[in-house]
Amino acid sequence: MTATISNTQERFLSKPTFARIFEILQRRGYQVIGPTLDQEAIVYDRIDSIEDLPRGWTDEQEPGRYRLEKRDDDSLFGYVVGPHSWKRFLFPPTAKLAEANKTEAGWQFQTSDDDPPNYAFLGVRACELAAMRIQDRVFLAGPYVDANYQRRRTSALVIAVNCTQAASTCFCTSMGSGPACTSGFDLALTELPDGFVLEAATSEGEEILAELETAEASIEQLQSAQVARQRAVDQIERHLDTTDIRDLLLSNLEHPRWDDVAERCLSCTNCTMVCPTCFCSSVEEVSDLAHERVERVRHWDSCFNIDFSYVNGGNARDDIRSRYRQWLTHKLSSWHDQFGTSGCVGCGRCLTWCPVGIDLTEEVAAIRGDTS
Amino acid sequence: MDTNQLRFVLEELSFSADLPAAFLSQLAVDATLEQAPAGGLLFREGSQNDNLYLVRSGRLALEMNVLGRGAVRILTLGPGEMVGWSSLLNEGKMTASAVAVEDTEVVVAPADKLRALSEANHDFGFHLMRQMAAALSMRLVATRFQLLDLFADSSPTTSDSPTERDG
Amino acid sequence: MSTSPAAPTPPAHAAAHPWLAQTVTIREIRPEVEGVATYGLEFQDEAVRAAYRFAPGQFNMLYLPGAGEIAISVSDDPENRSSCAHTIRVVGNVTRTLAAMQVGETLGLRGPFGTSWPLSECIGRDVVLVAGGIGLAPLRPAIYTLLRDRRQFGRINLLFGARSPDTLLYADQFDDWSQQGMIVHTTVDRSAPGWMGSVGAVTILLERLHSFDPRNTVLLCCGPEVMMKFTVMTALHRGLSPEQIWVSMERNMQCAVGLCGHCQLGPEFICKDGPVFRYDRLAPIMDVEGL
Repeated sequence: MTATISNTQERFLSKPTFARIFEILQRRGYQVIGPTLDQEAIVYDRIDSIEDLPRGWTDEQEPGRYRLEKRDDDSLFGYVVGPHSWKRFLFPPTAKLAEANKTEAGWQFQTSDDDPPNYAFLGVRACELAAMRIQDRVFLAGPYVDANYQRRRTSALVIAVNCTQAASTCFCTSMGSGPACTSGFDLALTELPDGFVLEAATSEGEEILAELETAEASIEQLQSAQVARQRAVDQIERHLDTTDIRDLLLSNLEHPRWDDVAERCLSCTNCTMVCPTCFCSSVEEVSDLAHERVERVRHWDSCFNIDFSYVNGGNARDDIRSRYRQWLTHKLSSWHDQFGTSGCVGCGRCLTWCPVGIDLTEEVAAIRGDTS
Repeated sequence: MDTNQLRFVLEELSFSADLPAAFLSQLAVDATLEQAPAGGLLFREGSQNDNLYLVRSGRLALEMNVLGRGAVRILTLGPGEMVGWSSLLNEGKMTASAVAVEDTEVVVAPADKLRALSEANHDFGFHLMRQMAAALSMRLVATRFQLLDLFADSSPTTSDSPTERDG
Repeated sequence: MSTSPAAPTPPAHAAAHPWLAQTVTIREIRPEVEGVATYGLEFQDEAVRAAYRFAPGQFNMLYLPGAGEIAISVSDDPENRSSCAHTIRVVGNVTRTLAAMQVGETLGLRGPFGTSWPLSECIGRDVVLVAGGIGLAPLRPAIYTLLRDRRQFGRINLLFGARSPDTLLYADQFDDWSQQGMIVHTTVDRSAPGWMGSVGAVTILLERLHSFDPRNTVLLCCGPEVMMKFTVMTALHRGLSPEQIWVSMERNMQCAVGLCGHCQLGPEFICKDGPVFRYDRLAPIMDVEGL
């Protein structure tokens, strides 16, 4: 992303012309990553043309349920978020960190810097922009910086999409993270039936806009875009009461609700895999047969894994109750102490992808003592 | 040692220091200060003993006889600590032997006098029992500690890092 | 009074590449008590050797390629510039692999990491060090530092508990330490023939400690977590405030730089917010089971 600019004028682009964006991005050296259909879900993967987008599809989501349905229009972005998040490109599921080689002078060590493509993220939602900001604090703002994350993050182009609908699992409004995209992008789009209203926020965004041959957006188009964005707000039906949530959870570590959720939770780690802010990882040794060259490979891990908290011959969190409590109190409470914000962006993925449909907004409400 | 001097000794020792002044004065009348040379036996496990002992200086060891292992030293006691509580609480049968590890001075308080004092004045009794309970509670916690065997080696089959258990 | 003292700023190369290990050679292997040995490690690169500094209480990640890494507190004198001693107990695969290595072999070292004992806060005050078992190893650098500038501090007492008389770590140094002005009190859980010292839990040593002024004392504690909890309880009972008590915590440390998530205890990352903590910071979470 390049430097932000202000006072941008909103432009309009027709649907057919939008297809050109791929070629423009590719010419600029980007590999485009965006939503596409795969195994009955909308995932993020490399896409090369407008044909790869899930035109005319939408998603129906509930705790523990995800289905794709055909729309009665040909919207390109008429859905919300799926099981993938952009963290799989910024903080990849596996990454080689370092290498050790046995020489005559003993073991010699070097770090491995990966050489990722320049990504253009097409279709980033507001909650995902918030999640990237949160992961920036984790990986870039501490005393130790993750160089691989930094490289990928600074070279990535972000084309955001304003949501024009909400899933039943969404609660971004409670977390102050959406549904409107306000910052953190190069370009932001709002889809209308016949095209897009676009806004550039950086000089690179402006350049791409210029190449796209847009027109000045009319009052009607701006109003339609506003109405479309409002639809997303109006459709939000789930809420998380975040009043004093940091203290609420940390002063209720022995609440009976933890026993209750432990009866349902399978400790399957789905929530941590789909969560756009979860960052736990483990490092594995990968050795050649002669044991003379050993790679250190980092891969995603999860606090729900049984031996995640292994210490001194046993697991510090030896039951599901303590592991679930760890995940939720970290996400909603301790994250404030550690990074100054909540760890949750209200994307609803953990509700949708939980096989037993655990809804953290309900769990928090129960601890707060509210009735549903 | 005269009563006044004994009174001062009682005021010093952590077991008795917090007891009410009147109680200490009375106790000083009935108690005596005795010497146990290094290696000397204060009382034998299983014997009848009708005294409460407060260590003033030196060190006592409690030992229990275990078949095949002989006298096993289970605890040592230093200044301010109390031993012989069985004399006050049950029929006075000692649960361990008390041996002086080095030259030791103890304040000896006859249990029958303590019982009489407590019966005659329930306030005294309350304070005495409270001190006993506090001392025994601490002893119990410390014993549990020894039981936990915290400094033993971990089982050799455990691994110190989960990644290597993956093979 | 400050909370956990900040670790010294990591050297530039460490902050940029937290995963880069430095080659170290095993210069000495000193058997201590059963299952425990002290490894003297020397950096192969002279510039790294000259630049390496650690503060008492900090730890290094020792890396055996193919086997894995372990977090080990440095147990050496911080003024020792030639090699760096680590006292290690064999508990699993990595330590067993290390135990099979010889002098002259190499491994990797990343560090130092973590917070350190608040020695500057001990100036002009009495210091009580309470150690249990191998917990004496992370305290030894503090002992070297305190005794080097003995006159800066008040009374220094070491209360050390071990399983049995033959597992008293660093016993051959106790006389030296006594002569240098630290009173060494020891106790064992299980006696052995010929042992004339204390028998009983190490908390009793603290309960029994005379010449103790709670208003002007700093207490540093390291050992199994249960032992630390009870030591803290005893210390509070004897009149110390939570701000006068420091403990060294342990959790599963992998990256050592606060990024892998494994070592969290509540909001604290043991690797970078600790391992040394002032007790008041941990008080709300230390007693919660399975946190």
